[in-house]
Amino acid sequence: MDYAQENRIVLNIYLLRMETGKNKYQSRRDFVRTAGKILVASPLLVLPVLLVKKTNVKGYVWQIDPYKCTQCGQCKTNCVLTPSASKCTHAFQMCGYCDLCGGFLRQGAKTISTAAENQLCPTGAIKRRFIEEPYFEYTIDEKLCDGCAKCVKGCGDFGNGSLYMQIRHDICVNCNECSIARTCPSNAVIRVPADKPYIRKT
Amino acid sequence: MIFAQERQQQQRFPRPEFESGYQTPTHQLLNQRGPMWEYADVAVLIAALSLTSWFAIKKRSRKGILWMSVFSLAYFGFYRQGCICSVGSVQNISLALFNNNYSVPLSAILFFIIPLIFALLYGRVFCAGVCPLGAIQELTGFRPVRIHKSVEAVLASIPFIYLGLSVLFAATQSQFIICRYDPFVGIFRLNAPFTMIIFGVLLLVAGIFVNRPYCRYLCPYGALQNIFSRFSGKHLTITPAECTNCRLCEECCPYDAILPSDDLKKTEPKEITRKRFILYLVLIPIMTIAGAILLYNLSPALSAVNSNVRLAREIRLEKEKGVPALSKSAAAFKESGKTEEQLFSEESVILGRFRKGTPWVGMFLGLSLGAGLFSMTIRKTRTEYKPDQGKCFSCGKCFEYCPIESKISK
Amino acid sequence: MKLSDKDIKILSGVSQVAAVFTLIVAVTMILGLIQLKVVNPLDSPSLALIKEQYDRDPSEKNIAEEVRAMDLLARRAYFSSRWQVETGSYLLIAGALIFVLTRRLIAGSEKPEPAFASEKPDIISQKKKYRVYLISAATIITVIAIISSFVLRGSLPETGVKIREAGQNTKEVKNAGTDALMAGSTNFPFFRGEGSRGIAGGTGYPVEWNGNDGKNIKWKIPVPGHGKNSPVIWGNKLFLTGIRAGTLEVYCIDKIKGEIIWTASASDFPGASKEIPDSDPEAGMAVPTAAVNGEVVCAIFGNGNLVCFDFDGKRLWAKNIGVPKSAYGYAASLLIYDKILIVQYDSDAKIAIKGFDLSSGDQKWETPRTGRPVWASPVLASLDGQTQVIINGNPNVSSYDPETGAELWSQPGLSGDVAPSPAVNSRFVYVVTDYAKLMALKPGKTGSEVWSDNTFTPDASSPVANDQFLFLTTGAGDAACYNAEKGDTLWSHVFDNPFYASPIICDDKLWMLDRSGIMYVASASGKFTLLAESPLGESSDSSPAFSDGRIYLRGKDNLYCIAKD
Repeated sequence: MDYAQENRIVLNIYLLRMETGKNKYQSRRDFVRTAGKILVASPLLVLPVLLVKKTNVKGYVWQIDPYKCTQCGQCKTNCVLTPSASKCTHAFQMCGYCDLCGGFLRQGAKTISTAAENQLCPTGAIKRRFIEEPYFEYTIDEKLCDGCAKCVKGCGDFGNGSLYMQIRHDICVNCNECSIARTCPSNAVIRVPADKPYIRKT
Repeated sequence: MIFAQERQQQQRFPRPEFESGYQTPTHQLLNQRGPMWEYADVAVLIAALSLTSWFAIKKRSRKGILWMSVFSLAYFGFYRQGCICSVGSVQNISLALFNNNYSVPLSAILFFIIPLIFALLYGRVFCAGVCPLGAIQELTGFRPVRIHKSVEAVLASIPFIYLGLSVLFAATQSQFIICRYDPFVGIFRLNAPFTMIIFGVLLLVAGIFVNRPYCRYLCPYGALQNIFSRFSGKHLTITPAECTNCRLCEECCPYDAILPSDDLKKTEPKEITRKRFILYLVLIPIMTIAGAILLYNLSPALSAVNSNVRLAREIRLEKEKGVPALSKSAAAFKESGKTEEQLFSEESVILGRFRKGTPWVGMFLGLSLGAGLFSMTIRKTRTEYKPDQGKCFSCGKCFEYCPIESKISK
Repeated sequence: MKLSDKDIKILSGVSQVAAVFTLIVAVTMILGLIQLKVVNPLDSPSLALIKEQYDRDPSEKNIAEEVRAMDLLARRAYFSSRWQVETGSYLLIAGALIFVLTRRLIAGSEKPEPAFASEKPDIISQKKKYRVYLISAATIITVIAIISSFVLRGSLPETGVKIREAGQNTKEVKNAGTDALMAGSTNFPFFRGEGSRGIAGGTGYPVEWNGNDGKNIKWKIPVPGHGKNSPVIWGNKLFLTGIRAGTLEVYCIDKIKGEIIWTASASDFPGASKEIPDSDPEAGMAVPTAAVNGEVVCAIFGNGNLVCFDFDGKRLWAKNIGVPKSAYGYAASLLIYDKILIVQYDSDAKIAIKGFDLSSGDQKWETPRTGRPVWASPVLASLDGQTQVIINGNPNVSSYDPETGAELWSQPGLSGDVAPSPAVNSRFVYVVTDYAKLMALKPGKTGSEVWSDNTFTPDASSPVANDQFLFLTTGAGDAACYNAEKGDTLWSHVFDNPFYASPIICDDKLWMLDRSGIMYVASASGKFTLLAESPLGESSDSSPAFSDGRIYLRGKDNLYCIAKD
């Protein structure tokens, strides 16, 4: 007699023996199951009620508040993406179009030119273009920008503060908790409504 | 020096009046895809869950479930890049529940609730074929090795601790640890800090042998699924008909989620069972209280997860012991001109929140442990082989081991 | 699917190649990532060194060349590792995919081999083993719990705050300006809300209502006493003051149900002034708005009676601080900072700012001010990292430390009958009065006027600002928005009636209540978009209060609660 057969016989005996007490046993088990079900289901029902006032249909995205940003440079290194999704942005209407630009030229630069030894941007992402005497336009080549914020600091320290950092939402993967926000020393990375994803300087 | 001038207030240089007719360019800042798409994701989620349930319970098709995994990995994983997922939504919910200044996106609530509803109806079908984290492990786990039951039991308790802590840290506005230590999201995005990728790859390599390591030993949402699935109305069964106790499926489950039938020849005296039942019933509240006390006492240590608390401690150390505070946040704090009193009062507020939250987390952990222990005293005589509804991922691997299955399908 | 041995051999060969390939790509990628994030060539010390060298001796042409060469090299290295990472990730996925696919095919063709343990698992003894494990784990945890309460308790840092109080403390920290331009959603503690800055928190407020047909009017109750002051709110309690039959009174109202919980007199304490000094007949004695924190409510009246009650209406202390006399009567609302009640005292005889101990009513400090009395209220702001009380005076705008009363700075400001309170954002202070001008000041000892304008000047209504915009409403019925930073007028609009109540920014909207009781709701942006126009059906000069999705408006005779039906 193989094992399975043997077991079946014992099982049948057992089931016979149990026949009388079966209903009581079954109903007790059913009761426990139903009670447990209600117990775990109730939080699911209560949750929407609790959260009904705190629900937001549009959702959030992350953005840098340029008024809080201290240009520490962690946006470059702490984004989950490489290169970082936070990039320098130019508020042209705030710019003074200076020849001597604190965002373009390295502090200590001796001459005003586009030579590598004078440029502040480590990737050469800022393009300088002559408009008219004595004004120059500065644009950011975002493909090159790695978000180090050196130019933002320079512009804020010596110029009008028209360069500022913004998280690019065509690049950002919108992590549930932004890893730049977690380490930002001035708590400048905040959740903003998804339909207004940028905090523009004007 | 050219830059001789001192730091002054901004807007030092007035906007020039251009004579050459130069127009100020407007800077285009691109938006993300519209938020409505998140509701499309919710629809896909519901469809995927329904299909997987159908494959697991009605159709009994392992292949179907596998293809669902492929689809979910492609859609929720690589296309949607793993955010937002149900696993992380736990934190959004707890942040919103305990803080008034955050309102949770509706899609996050739906992503949290819908898989749990399905768990209550059909077991862990979400884990089986919808969760992208589960899917990537399901598809790469092809050389299952069973590990010792005692090791399994110890490791299986980690998700509960992880769940408790992540709720605590989210509720105290400290950190989203689930997202921070998400192993696979970097792979989905094909771009991440290298530490994240290394962690993910190591888990996947381990997962070839110890299948689904993240699901079994880490996933906090899995702990919730585990609880809910235990009470599921309809659950996947190993055999489509009556179990013949042939023992063919006994060792086939890589997750050790098959409960064998009882050996009816070996029984225990009823008296011992009853005594133990009462003893363990008493133990539950004791463990609950012990957990609460332990976690409460740990709250100062746990609160160090919060960056403001860490900063306050760094500043205090500098003030009292003269250890220079050199971190970037310390530098930013000194520059901000915020007073130390403000910082310290913030610290005490956060610590207060931790003290409020930790006993509940401790109670949850103590209660889970107690309940786990208690469940081992309940005398249930099983006459068939069936899945352990808490642990079973409804992956359907056991189907093909059942001889009745193959007989019917033939 | 059954594969032949040959197929399996080929597949396993492919999978091995794929595995090796994946491994190599992974290692290069990780190295590339490390290069980008940890040892970025752009930050290489040698580049910095050569630049430094160049700075020391700029005439040297060679060094400039060297900098250029080095810079080019660094950039090339940087961008090539960026390329490596970008393309590498696709190669990696492709390699991994092939590996997984081949391995799966091989594994799938193997017949499932059920491995038997010779003996059927013995559940009873297994369970016994588990129980032992679990019990020992539980015992260890319990023991650690007990030990830790002795060991760790001693080293717990004393916070000095009980846990229950910690929740309330959050609000105070907020007041102190950690997040200067945000406001909580529940409490509206002073005239014009937190810090008296005109910014309210929360969402879900209705924009449309009608006092005539009851649309969105949750409740409406008559206020027993006459007064021009505005509602203040803490938790579920709302407070107003008024004068009824010569008695000055404070009312505590249930903000949900709309019932008066208690009424307390501010005329019956020893030393109370019974005098009714001259004032603008319309304004009366109860112009200043009360101030509230989680424990007490304080109120001041036109005759200098200053009272403080707990939340149950029990009088904690009361005193008369001298009957102020001025052209239009006393008007400055109260502020509470931490444990100090701040009173701006303006009388023809003397003008000062005073701090009182909130629990005892003892005067803690008093700082005299110079100039003429004004009818504006003080504002609590966080500027340059310091919490300060800012007063729009005549002729000086001045700032005081709320802790000690010390004057922090003072700058020349306005002249005439100054009544609008200052507006603040995180950078500037804005002051305005009619027949003078609107000016933005950079705060501090070295600060100065940043911009000014005199097109729109309110006479009673106070301006409100956030970091982008400054809004104001005037006695001529104008509303205007300025660029907060530069002072350009972004929009203006003429309404039908004059404004006395102060506009509030809340939920991204600007709420402007005119004297006839019509609330104009516009979007708080640089473009004028009128969202709604909602009549109260009763004239009103009190500023609105916002709390948890409900708006509270005090009309001439009634208090209204407005919420979505």
